[in-house]
Amino acid sequence: MEKVKISARQLFVLIILFEHGSALVIPLGVRAKQDVWLAILLGMVGGILLFLVYYRLYRYYPDIPLTSYVQHIIGPWFGKALAFVYTVYFLFLASRVLRDFGELLLTFAYPETPLFSLNAIMILTVMYGVYKGIEVLARTGELFLTFLYVLAIGGFILVISAGLVHLYNLEPVLADGWKPVWKVVFTETLYVPFGEMIVFAMIFPYLNNPEKAKQATIIGMGLSGINLAITMAINVAVLGPELVSRSTFPLLDTIRNIQVANFLERLDVFFMIALIIGGFFKISLFFYAGVVGASELFGVQNHHRLIYSLGFIVLLLSVAIADNYSEHIKEGLRIVTVYLHLPLQVIIPICLLVIAAIRHRYFNQQS
Amino acid sequence: MLFQWGLQKKKQEIQGKEGKDQSGQAQDIPEEPIHSQLEMNIDIVRHTTGDSPDIVIRRFDVGHERTIRAAMIFVDGLVDEKNVCQFLLEPLMTATFPISLLPADLFIWMEKKLAAVGGIRQISQWSELFTELMSGRTIILLDGIPLALCASTKGGQYRQIEEPQTQIAIRGSRDGFTESLRINTSLIRRRIQNPNLWMETMKIGKVTQTDVAIMYIKGIANEEIVQEVKQRLNRINIDSILESGYIEQLIEDQTYTTFPTVYHTERPDTVAANLLEGRVAIFMEGTPFVLVVPAVFIQFFQAVEDYYSRFDISTALRFLRVLIFFISLIAPALYIAATTFHQEMIPTPLVIAIAAQREAVPFPAFVEALVMEVTFEILREAGVRLPRAVGHAVSIVGALVIGQSAVEAGFVSSAMVIVVSITAVASFATPAVAIAISARLIRFLLMVLAAMFGFYGIIMGILVMTIHLCSLRSFGVPYMSPLAPSIPANMGDTLFRVPTWAFKDRPHLISQKNIERQGNNQKPQPPGSNSSNDSNRGETS
Repeated sequence: MEKVKISARQLFVLIILFEHGSALVIPLGVRAKQDVWLAILLGMVGGILLFLVYYRLYRYYPDIPLTSYVQHIIGPWFGKALAFVYTVYFLFLASRVLRDFGELLLTFAYPETPLFSLNAIMILTVMYGVYKGIEVLARTGELFLTFLYVLAIGGFILVISAGLVHLYNLEPVLADGWKPVWKVVFTETLYVPFGEMIVFAMIFPYLNNPEKAKQATIIGMGLSGINLAITMAINVAVLGPELVSRSTFPLLDTIRNIQVANFLERLDVFFMIALIIGGFFKISLFFYAGVVGASELFGVQNHHRLIYSLGFIVLLLSVAIADNYSEHIKEGLRIVTVYLHLPLQVIIPICLLVIAAIRHRYFNQQS
Repeated sequence: MLFQWGLQKKKQEIQGKEGKDQSGQAQDIPEEPIHSQLEMNIDIVRHTTGDSPDIVIRRFDVGHERTIRAAMIFVDGLVDEKNVCQFLLEPLMTATFPISLLPADLFIWMEKKLAAVGGIRQISQWSELFTELMSGRTIILLDGIPLALCASTKGGQYRQIEEPQTQIAIRGSRDGFTESLRINTSLIRRRIQNPNLWMETMKIGKVTQTDVAIMYIKGIANEEIVQEVKQRLNRINIDSILESGYIEQLIEDQTYTTFPTVYHTERPDTVAANLLEGRVAIFMEGTPFVLVVPAVFIQFFQAVEDYYSRFDISTALRFLRVLIFFISLIAPALYIAATTFHQEMIPTPLVIAIAAQREAVPFPAFVEALVMEVTFEILREAGVRLPRAVGHAVSIVGALVIGQSAVEAGFVSSAMVIVVSITAVASFATPAVAIAISARLIRFLLMVLAAMFGFYGIIMGILVMTIHLCSLRSFGVPYMSPLAPSIPANMGDTLFRVPTWAFKDRPHLISQKNIERQGNNQKPQPPGSNSSNDSNRGETS
């Protein structure tokens, strides 16, 4: 672990950027049609409840990351195995997000550029950022968050002033009842992006003021959820529920519709900036968690040494993970959610919390 | 023994180059006491200085009967000759000594009663004698006394105080630093008339023995930073420093960066303002450029006039400057990316016009941009180095031949010329040259990235640059503060410039203890409503 500290404000910034990461640009929860905003908000509530589980675990072990305290909770053998699983999980998610990102870039701007080279540039930047450490990443985040917000507000004003928002597209609310919404919540929005907060279990030990972690995280998640819900609602309002559910990048389609004063049009670069900045921070945090987890697990004193090799692995994995984009998306929805997200984000942390709580109660009674 | 050393020195001079000592430095003056015989002392001075004609050795006699020989030694041109003659030589030569005194008493008599200069003291070591002599003081030797008197008679010709050449302000003081350390420090003393303005001097450079002074305000400056500055300066072990750039490169936190982590300025008001924010200034004899540490990124976008003019225009200008910085950074890269990869993002009539122009151009946009940028850099470099009279010729060649003819001949498109011109003007408009230079270098990297990956390359380049900026520190202070890590109390002097009455705090990370700059209730109010203002008026923080 590095000997650096980040403030609660910086944690907040990292959470916002992480949550917006790819969720802002991918068709998040679009199977809920015009109720997608509702699905996101419910996912957010579920995510905050999950975070409280991670937070309790963090308060039991405030100085060590997830991969270390699992060894305290369930013993060195199972603990090491589970820590290994989590490390691989983080690296796998890093390469998944990297693939997402590369595919997005490939389809909308660089159809003739090989995926490998687009991903390579990204992972090199990520490696540089992770090499500089979490503190530098957090500071970079502070700068870019402001920029991103200015961009988002500018885009919002443009969408409205271009007269694109048709609120009737959002009606009727709950046309098919609650069932499809809940289905989307429990298969998509709960895990991505809110359940992915598990990665912050690796970041919390760097906080200089643990008391403020809860507040910063909940506000950060809440704000992200509201922002994402507004964005998706605008997408639906502009494009209509049918188009949104068929679109690969609803936000891009929305931005492409902007046409103001015969001059402000084709603002794809807005989308690209949002995509790259968000993608960068999401990949960086996953990769950072993976690198720190691996260095803890294998007793590597200086985690910088692992960056090159693991970065290369993530790059190769991101290309090898699926043959094409549809396969990648299908994996994401059918396999990763059920076999990875559900156990690793929900079931195991809850079990860990129960065991840790029993252990602590037992320990306290003894002493 | 001492005399032998003097002779040895003479032998070495005859031997020439072989006489150099092992370290490659000039011969060190040994720590030996001054001899009591005058002639021997004079010989040693002569040998050590190689009989240089500007070392003036004036012999005279003192005492009741004028029997005791004495000599005065100074360096012509470094001393104020009028001072030496009027207040040292004349009293010594015309004085009547009432009784016959022993040389030792005579020596003290001379020090106490005859030498009419401000600073005078006794010295006993050769090394000290030569240091003082070479820094412009006058040495008086007396036969039979193994001591010397050293009188401060520094003077000589210096450039007058002129308007600074590099940082011009429409509103603001007109005086700039000169090459004299003492004049420079006095310019600050006049602005901050406070005994807490502390100064420490040291000599750096084994051969040049250059005077260096650090200045800070005790109680405002952070002690840790002051200690760090002293420690880094003391670490310097080099033969010569000729300009503050030498010091800058030896004390900066990181060498491998294009961004300056030490601020330098020619303006006394800038230095005074920085001292009042808790920074440390480093003065050096022989250069008008004073270093200020710690430096932060946003400082290079602040011009003195921002604080002298009203806040609304200052804020607008700050935004403009940041915009200028980005234009000078990415304008050619944007052109390359837009014409090579993202034609759809340019409005249709414009893209047709550009395509029509580029039809005749045989090169890809990247080569076109590179050719023009390099040409411009050549022109600029030529313009800077050439004598003024020839400079006009260069600008005519630049404007007509390269600008117009290159387009007509089909080398480049006229759109490219516009882009390069905007970039050039933008890079001149940055208030601090140091930051404009880093933009100048990074621009080429971004052009390469734009040629390879379009906007994606540019954004990734900016991202890496930002990570790098965030990882920099200047004397322990994060370079991007107060933006990242963000300090809301200091945000008022970054992209914005809040009204002067709202500048409540000094930079938190620089002046860590004493951060309050002004009292509350400083906002001007119409008469009749300022009941609480009077009590605060006399307060200083």
